[in-house]
Amino acid sequence: MDIFSDLVMGLSVAITPINLVYLLAGAMVGMVVGVIPGFGPSAGLAILLPVTFGMDPVGAIMMLAAIYYGAMYGGTITSILLNTPGESATVASTFDGFPLAKKGRAGPALVMQAVASFVGGTVGVILITILAPLFSQVSRSFGPPEYFLLAAMGMLTLIVMIGTNWKLGVVSALIGFALGTVGVDLETGQGRYTFGSAELIGGIYFIPIAIGLFGLGELFYAFYSGLHKTGSGGIIQIDKKARFWPDAQDFISTRWTMARHSVLGFVVGVIPGAGATIASLMAYSTERSLSKTPEKFGQGEMAGLVAPETANNAASSGAMIPLLTLGIPGSASTAVLLAAFMLWGLRPGPLFMEQNPELAWGLIASMYLGNMVLLAISVFAIPLFVQLIKVPYRILGPAVVVICTLGTFSVNASFVETYLMFAAGIVGFFMRLYGFSPAALVLALVLGPLAEEALRQTLTISRGSFGIFLERPASLWIIGVTVVLVLILPLLGRIGSKAGRAEKAGG
Amino acid sequence: MRIVFLVAVLGGAVFYSYIAFVDLNFLTRTGRLGPGFFPRIIGVGMALTTIWVILDALRDRARVAAGGAAGADDAPAGSWGDAVKLIALALGYAVLLRLFGGFVATLIYLAATLSLLNPGRHVQNALVAVLLPIFVYILFDRLLNANMPPAMFELLPF
Repeated sequence: MDIFSDLVMGLSVAITPINLVYLLAGAMVGMVVGVIPGFGPSAGLAILLPVTFGMDPVGAIMMLAAIYYGAMYGGTITSILLNTPGESATVASTFDGFPLAKKGRAGPALVMQAVASFVGGTVGVILITILAPLFSQVSRSFGPPEYFLLAAMGMLTLIVMIGTNWKLGVVSALIGFALGTVGVDLETGQGRYTFGSAELIGGIYFIPIAIGLFGLGELFYAFYSGLHKTGSGGIIQIDKKARFWPDAQDFISTRWTMARHSVLGFVVGVIPGAGATIASLMAYSTERSLSKTPEKFGQGEMAGLVAPETANNAASSGAMIPLLTLGIPGSASTAVLLAAFMLWGLRPGPLFMEQNPELAWGLIASMYLGNMVLLAISVFAIPLFVQLIKVPYRILGPAVVVICTLGTFSVNASFVETYLMFAAGIVGFFMRLYGFSPAALVLALVLGPLAEEALRQTLTISRGSFGIFLERPASLWIIGVTVVLVLILPLLGRIGSKAGRAEKAGG
Repeated sequence: MRIVFLVAVLGGAVFYSYIAFVDLNFLTRTGRLGPGFFPRIIGVGMALTTIWVILDALRDRARVAAGGAAGADDAPAGSWGDAVKLIALALGYAVLLRLFGGFVATLIYLAATLSLLNPGRHVQNALVAVLLPIFVYILFDRLLNANMPPAMFELLPF
């Protein structure tokens, strides 16, 4: 009952004309970002974060959250029409989405992906509504040792998920940790790596690095890959004579697919480091193995599109749980969201929902509304997004450079930060090119200072003994969960990659 | 090129570790963990892991030279020219920003970049080069009341 009244209060906060405008704008912009190949939710959030500075915190957080899951919705449109995933979480949607479009069923495929995203997203938000208060209650007993272990768990699971390139993931994370140590040491007041620069005393700001790595880095890589030359020649046009709407059979045959992968996606999303990509690949693989006609997968089977779409949107909702209740982001996108919270002086964690009920429940309520808005946009604005796909990358590219640059400058009116963003963009390009993990770097940059502070507090409490981690029941639980995840996640990753490889081999 | 990038990362790691060991104390005077505790662990860890990655890369290179298949970490084939061109133009934009401020620099950058990347479409390029700076000016400066980079040499009256 408490949850219900909190949710009603959240709805009263979220449903104001201006907040609804922000929500709608965020959902639209998120979809636009998702449609651009190479740009996912993290890039969209990083680039557009400065745009929200003039808003009030509730509206800004609602808009950013809408950009986050809007990008997840939008990423699939190019997967279906162009066989080019907007980002990694929609790779699995190409397996059956593109064959469906080739068979003349682009319309039903686009509508069903929107419905699947809506179901996954909405079930995810329902689970957040139920579970977030429980998580908050459990985590209230956490102290510095548990926070250090949670930060370590987030990094470890992310690196484990990188797979064969894990050493490069470790180096990426260590670069992020190193950047996180720049600035004045809060305990002793001594400057670290500031080299006498007044601009570096406060540390390296997260936003220029995130915008550089995800915005410019991805863009440079897209040009390296020749995306600006491909144009939209391969785009499948929606046949006006063919049926646009899915038939009843499409809904009936996929109803259980949506139900099971909403839950699976959410659970995978809660695990730090696993995220929407693994959730979607796992969902595809699981659905095929459960299907009575697995041979139809890869040939344009609706369940093969619905499963990953439901899962990746549910996973995006699941990733909000550790962010809101522990203050620990599990992915690059939620790390950018955490930075957004911090910009408004908000610190997500165990007490966040208790101390900021209006904002927390307003955000959760807005996610219900956002999913409805996105369903409507996804279905009725499809022709608009098809036109957007046709805008050549060679024009979009320079425009993205401009938005990234002016967005970075607008945060603190700092040329140093703008130059840092360019440097991060070049480094991000090379990282992307040589298999490093920009996501691990960004996550480490956010988690590093938290982890260092928590470890130093822990060792002060324990008078230098690491045994404290084994003495506290909560710490032991976190260590246990981390060990299980480190053992299980590579298996999950392998299931996902196997599904991907099988589809590639199949055609 | 991959080796060059890895060596640059190693150089950074060694420099970072050097400062951590020379300038930053491991413990404070009161015996608590000092400002150098974390940086030393990070620096040494980064240097060792990067050396490991470099050794792997060298082994891969030797294997490829001997006729073996390329390693999974090798960069995919692509166009260096286009990427370098865009990076150079972006860096030029950074310089222009300092000199002429947000509006004029964006206009010059877009005109130059589009004429290189989208040659022959003069009207389209001119429209984008003029309309986009106006749009970002209205968005950042007027609607959001955010900072636009000021000019060192002011060319516009506003």
